[in-house]
Amino acid sequence: MLAPALLLWPLVRVFLFSLQEYGLRQIVSGESNYIGFDNYAEIFSEPMLWQIVLPNTIGFAIVAVGGTVVFGTLVALLLASLNRMWRAIVSSCIMVAWAMPAVTGTYVWIWLFDANTGLVNTLLLGAGILDEPHNWFTDRWSFYAIVVLNIIHHGFPFVAVTVLAGLLGVSKEMIEAATVDGAGAIRRFFQIIFPTLKPVFAVVVILSTIWDFKVFAQIYLMPGGSGSNRSVLNLGVWSYVESFAQNRYGFGSAIAVLLTVMLLVVSVVYVRTLFKEEK
Amino acid sequence: MSAPAAPAAPGVPADATRARIPARRPRSRRAKWILFGKSVAVAALLIFTLFPTLWMISGAFDARASSASASLIPVEFTLENFTYVLAEGGFARYLLNSVIVALLTVAASGALALFASVAVARFKFKFRTSILMMVLIIQMVPLEALVIPLFVQVRNLQMLNSLLGLVVVYVAFSLPFAIWMLRGFVAAVPEELEEAAYIDGASWWRMFRSVLFPLVAPGLVATSVFAFITAWNEFIFALTFMNDPEKYTVAVGLQQFFGQYSNQWGYIMAASTLITIPVMIFFVAVQGKLSSGLVSGAVKG
Amino acid sequence: MRKFRTSLAIAAVTALGLTACGSGGSGDDGGNGGSGGNGKSGEGETLSVWIMEGTNPNADAFFKKAGQKFKEKTGAKLDVQFVQWGEAHDRFVTSIAGGTTPDVAETGTTWTAEFAQAGALAPLDEQVKAAGIKEDLVDGLVEAGTVDGSLYGMPWYAGVRSVIYRTDVFKELNLDEPQSWDELLKTAQTIKQEKPDLIPWAVPGGSQYAAYPFIWGTGGKLATQQDGKWVSGLTSPEARQGIEFYTDLALEHGLSSAAATTWDATDVLDNFAKGKLPMAILGSWAAPTLIEKNPDLEGKLGAFPIPGPDGGYSPSFLGGSHLSVFNSADNPELAWEFVKMLTTTDLAAQWAEETNYFPGTESLLEKSINSDDPMVKPFATQMVEAGTTVPVTPKFGAVQGKKTIPAMLQSILAGDKTVKQATSDAAAEIEEILNSK
Repeated sequence: MLAPALLLWPLVRVFLFSLQEYGLRQIVSGESNYIGFDNYAEIFSEPMLWQIVLPNTIGFAIVAVGGTVVFGTLVALLLASLNRMWRAIVSSCIMVAWAMPAVTGTYVWIWLFDANTGLVNTLLLGAGILDEPHNWFTDRWSFYAIVVLNIIHHGFPFVAVTVLAGLLGVSKEMIEAATVDGAGAIRRFFQIIFPTLKPVFAVVVILSTIWDFKVFAQIYLMPGGSGSNRSVLNLGVWSYVESFAQNRYGFGSAIAVLLTVMLLVVSVVYVRTLFKEEK
Repeated sequence: MSAPAAPAAPGVPADATRARIPARRPRSRRAKWILFGKSVAVAALLIFTLFPTLWMISGAFDARASSASASLIPVEFTLENFTYVLAEGGFARYLLNSVIVALLTVAASGALALFASVAVARFKFKFRTSILMMVLIIQMVPLEALVIPLFVQVRNLQMLNSLLGLVVVYVAFSLPFAIWMLRGFVAAVPEELEEAAYIDGASWWRMFRSVLFPLVAPGLVATSVFAFITAWNEFIFALTFMNDPEKYTVAVGLQQFFGQYSNQWGYIMAASTLITIPVMIFFVAVQGKLSSGLVSGAVKG
Repeated sequence: MRKFRTSLAIAAVTALGLTACGSGGSGDDGGNGGSGGNGKSGEGETLSVWIMEGTNPNADAFFKKAGQKFKEKTGAKLDVQFVQWGEAHDRFVTSIAGGTTPDVAETGTTWTAEFAQAGALAPLDEQVKAAGIKEDLVDGLVEAGTVDGSLYGMPWYAGVRSVIYRTDVFKELNLDEPQSWDELLKTAQTIKQEKPDLIPWAVPGGSQYAAYPFIWGTGGKLATQQDGKWVSGLTSPEARQGIEFYTDLALEHGLSSAAATTWDATDVLDNFAKGKLPMAILGSWAAPTLIEKNPDLEGKLGAFPIPGPDGGYSPSFLGGSHLSVFNSADNPELAWEFVKMLTTTDLAAQWAEETNYFPGTESLLEKSINSDDPMVKPFATQMVEAGTTVPVTPKFGAVQGKKTIPAMLQSILAGDKTVKQATSDAAAEIEEILNSK
């Protein structure tokens, strides 16, 4: 229990920092400088929070989680319908996507969409769809489209593999019985498979939500993602940039607390769902 | 409460939808179409899944990767990208550092999580639920929020600029999830089995080794993967804690390298390939056990 | 000279973040250096030093030599670590906070005040006075290194950006060095027509220092102090006109490329080295790096001061570096010995020569300024005639950290905002940061 405690105290400290005007000087000297909830007041009065950061964070999480879970489930269903050899082959390949570290994966996507030497532009130019190279990283929508692609590619294997393992545990008799009753594939999924696997989906959805809410490297490392393109900031990057580029660790901590609280709400829902299942 | 569902478990019929269907004959044409559709789906899936990896590897071997003429098969095959990043880019050192950090993290978090999960799953004590809650809360905390306080903490432990300091943090980060997953496994082991061992006169330690451990081992594999990945991929802490380039891990090494060679895609892809391959081998090797670990760990909340 | 002295003030942060060949880290354990030891002799001690990477392509050889000299003089060992500009600020901050600072470090001139205010640096006034070199130090660099009347950064080198161009391309197309913005536009248009493979004038959205000349050229100001309050001049018609001209090079005239919208200074350097750019706003120090990256460019590089809108010159940012002694140094005298050696002996001249920067003492500077070298003279002219500074306040580092100017440029280049809207937003942000407590 020592290690979780090692993390719990910092959590308390982040909150304490968030109530202070905390700069480099305070870090060095260790003195505190409490200003109450001023940092929070500033965050909530910041138009950027409402117009950009929150929509980006939440909208992205919804799209990414939805995309990852739906795609992962479809893949799991496909895998379940394959014979054992093919299932093993395809699962191994899926593992490859999962295994690619976020940092390297992000660089590969950046290269694919690079305006000068990227494959996507080369192909589109060659096909005559584009007249001149297009910079995909400047526009908020295309920027996030690439991030979503990156996240789904990296995240769907977890969903697919988890759901697959659950699927294989679903009673064959029930499915057969439903088939005999004339239930189509879609009805079979929603009437039998989905209810049985509800806990699995709960886990998958919540974990993906947590991961996608606090996505950092995949945005920070992209061109313009580390602060110069304001329209693509999310809570995590905003917190980091305010802390380290501005030396406003108190303000950055307050953003981090906001993000943590939002995730906490999600996790409470998660725990509720799970413990309900157990009862 | 059922046993962990392993995908490759013997005796489980492979396909659910290909179950015996009455009126076989008239459907054969349809079955062909289904087979065709499935093949297309599998092919599309494989392309989507593997393409970025293949593109990365091919770029790593291509002397002309920095120009637009790159293709899936290297135009101008070369090993120079690799030799350069290993020798000049310092990746030999970074890889060694990461291996050390990752293996220590796996060993420490595995051992700690095993005992902790037994405690959480078996002993009914007062704060059981609160500890579980805490474990989850920690899972939610955005890493970048903890950089400053953890930094101060590790400084007080005199472990800045030391690989061991990173290990401590990574263990702390991978433990919650590991405990969460393992307790499902521990809970799935029937208590009667343990009791039987005690009746036979076994000590707790012996019971643990001969009864509990073998049954929990698949879960341990899954948690090891997560600990390994955490340690191998983590970026912010490695950057903040290490002041000495000799002690960079691969993720930081790559980011530094990218800052310096932002358009030299051949080098960057070679470095990326070097970083990715160990993880891939690890992943593919344990994949079967991984999924079963995930399910039983996660579902048995 | 007067103008030069007053103008040479604050310095580059990421500006100097140009990168060069990879000279890896060096030495063994960084740590806190010096262990015990007493008296003036540094026998048995180690001095740990951080130097910015990429300033000098021959940095390894240079510091090997410096280490030998240092050992001869003091008996102490030198442990140099190279730090990249891009991550250096964070690394300083974390090491200051963590108590793992080196004994001596090169600090970008905008950082020195910040670190000094945090209580991390040792004042150098007495040592400078004792050495009798106070008068010889370049005023602007001294000003930037002074906090509350004490000097915390010893002037080491200074630099300025002008236009570096490809003489072979200009010769082939019979082009002359442009003397006004109009000529600059025409030159770029000619290149676009004749050499469609080249990007005639890249407008890098991530590079603030390439944009400043166009703000300053028309008389625009980033921010000025009025009655104790900072007021941004970005919304003035002059500044807007300059920014409009600059961004229109990309938007209206198509002289840039889509990719350049997210380029930073490193990308500009890299693409120039690859032969894709016929001209670009680059520092004098970029020339050796370009040739190192692409030896084919040898003998094909020229430079001219950034032209003004109607002749004359557009001001360019003057940056530089200090050498600072950290409070954590076990043996401050030893640390000062090293600082003095690097900034006042022939090592200072060698450094300036190898990096194409200008030295931080006036006696050495005189020589560079009167040089006839075609890759030195235009920069010297730029520095003396049209070198200027960003607002002199430790807070301006926060404006740079917030990437206010890159954000403004990118939003215009991407078509998200009009020049008017983008400048208004940027001005509000600058005022908010500079006027905060």
